[in-house]
Amino acid sequence: MNRMNRRAWLLAIPALLLLAVFLLYPFASVVRYATWDWSGFGDPRPSGTDNLSRLLGDRDFWRSLRTTLLFGVITLPAFLWLSRTVAVAIERTRLEGAIKALLLLPALTTVAGSAVSWFLLYNPNYGFLFELTGIALPWDTAPWAALIYVVLFTLWQNVGYGVLVVSAALRGVPPEVKEAARVDGATDAQVQRFVVYPLLRPATLFLTVIGSVLVLQSYTAVFLLTRGGPFGSTRVIGYYLYETAFERLQLGYGAAITLAVLALTLVVAYLQMRLLSRGIA
Amino acid sequence: MTLFRRLVTVLVCLFVALPLLWLLYMAFLPPRAVLEARLLPTGFSLANFGALAGSGLWRALLISLVTSGIAVLGQLVIGVGAAYAIRTGLRALWLVLLALALPLELLLVPLFRVLQQLGLLDSPLALVMPFLASPLVIFLLYQSLRRLPWEMVEAASLDGAGHPTILARVVVPALLPEIVAAGILGFAAHWNLVLFPKVMVGDRSWWTVQVWLAELLRNRPLEWGLLGAAAFLSAVPIVVLYLVFERRIVMVFERNFG
Repeated sequence: MNRMNRRAWLLAIPALLLLAVFLLYPFASVVRYATWDWSGFGDPRPSGTDNLSRLLGDRDFWRSLRTTLLFGVITLPAFLWLSRTVAVAIERTRLEGAIKALLLLPALTTVAGSAVSWFLLYNPNYGFLFELTGIALPWDTAPWAALIYVVLFTLWQNVGYGVLVVSAALRGVPPEVKEAARVDGATDAQVQRFVVYPLLRPATLFLTVIGSVLVLQSYTAVFLLTRGGPFGSTRVIGYYLYETAFERLQLGYGAAITLAVLALTLVVAYLQMRLLSRGIA
Repeated sequence: MTLFRRLVTVLVCLFVALPLLWLLYMAFLPPRAVLEARLLPTGFSLANFGALAGSGLWRALLISLVTSGIAVLGQLVIGVGAAYAIRTGLRALWLVLLALALPLELLLVPLFRVLQQLGLLDSPLALVMPFLASPLVIFLLYQSLRRLPWEMVEAASLDGAGHPTILARVVVPALLPEIVAAGILGFAAHWNLVLFPKVMVGDRSWWTVQVWLAELLRNRPLEWGLLGAAAFLSAVPIVVLYLVFERRIVMVFERNFG
């Protein structure tokens, strides 16, 4: 390393400073805030471990963890399966580019605008599909339907991204390998199952991690579509955090919930780091 | 099997396209057609857009455009420097990867306190400052730098160029496609923030378009035309950017996450 390289780190100072103030400092302070009784306005009062012991006995908290888990158990496999199925189907077809462009569109367009569209399209009382067909997902009254509704919205937003990742991995499968299997007498289905799918495993693993982050971040969809209802059936952990802190104005307790969410996220983050650094090394 | 996969693909495409088409349809439907209670009202009108005058939408759109625009410009300038420093040997990649997995929205509570202490609550600066260093942008640019033939940089360095010159004359021109794509992804991520601006900027004169839309949907859920037109307008900037640069964005996605 020469003298030049040693001075290049100066260029990272703005980024490092900003990350320290707006990421590391808040991150490190959550523990302290979690020992506060604080409404967000006025001075916080120290309350020791009250928030933490309340958290352990909070049935709504445990329920929101279970809801998040259920949400993930439904969303993740569907996300992986759809991404793989569509990516394999469009591989090397004429429409590949156009389909990818279409599927990526919901991820980028305005999220609240999308929610407006979904609300009026799938509304069980006066939505367009209900008026047209008479059938609708009763997401305003039935807990299971509300969860499915949020799952579908999340899939709608992210499936294009999954397809892109699998599609890129497919391109990395050498044609000779498939050809060799065919020469050995494998059928097309067998080539897919025993040659292509195992080679897709790193991409699938990567999507699993990304999907887990998406599950933990599903609070925006919940906020826009169902506000946690009906009967708390879609109150995922991230939404419970928002609701407690900023609608019931219990920021100290919100910090305690943040601790739990961060612990969950860090497990996922650790896996993501391992995977991404492997790709980099 | 192939047939089944094609069938699934067709269904997925319809499922994805339907809400997008529905949005277009709603936005341009004449307000009277909705009341006629026909099964599928038709017609074309711009009346819904006229009804948005004075509703605050235009102001919200402008605030979103300006704050997302400034945030992304900052992200690119700061991101190029950081990515370059890491590429030349600064051991800070772990921090970027950690930040990538810790979205700011999960830190709503502690950030509320930090912004309060800095006196930034209810100010448009709260929408910009915390986002100026984007781990996504830094990561994407760093990945692109790793593919850049490093001899180019070393040659410039041997010729006596300093880091700022190398960045401006060699790195930025070579990475322009990636910079544009990272900028659009960063713009979309910032444009689509909902809870963060809602919590940090309660003052409605600084509402972003997402917050404004979420409130409209909550307060006037029956006004299809108005909602449709507003939602349509809020999607226009990103859709235009996306349609112009779609190939580049898809390429950057595939290269970096495939």
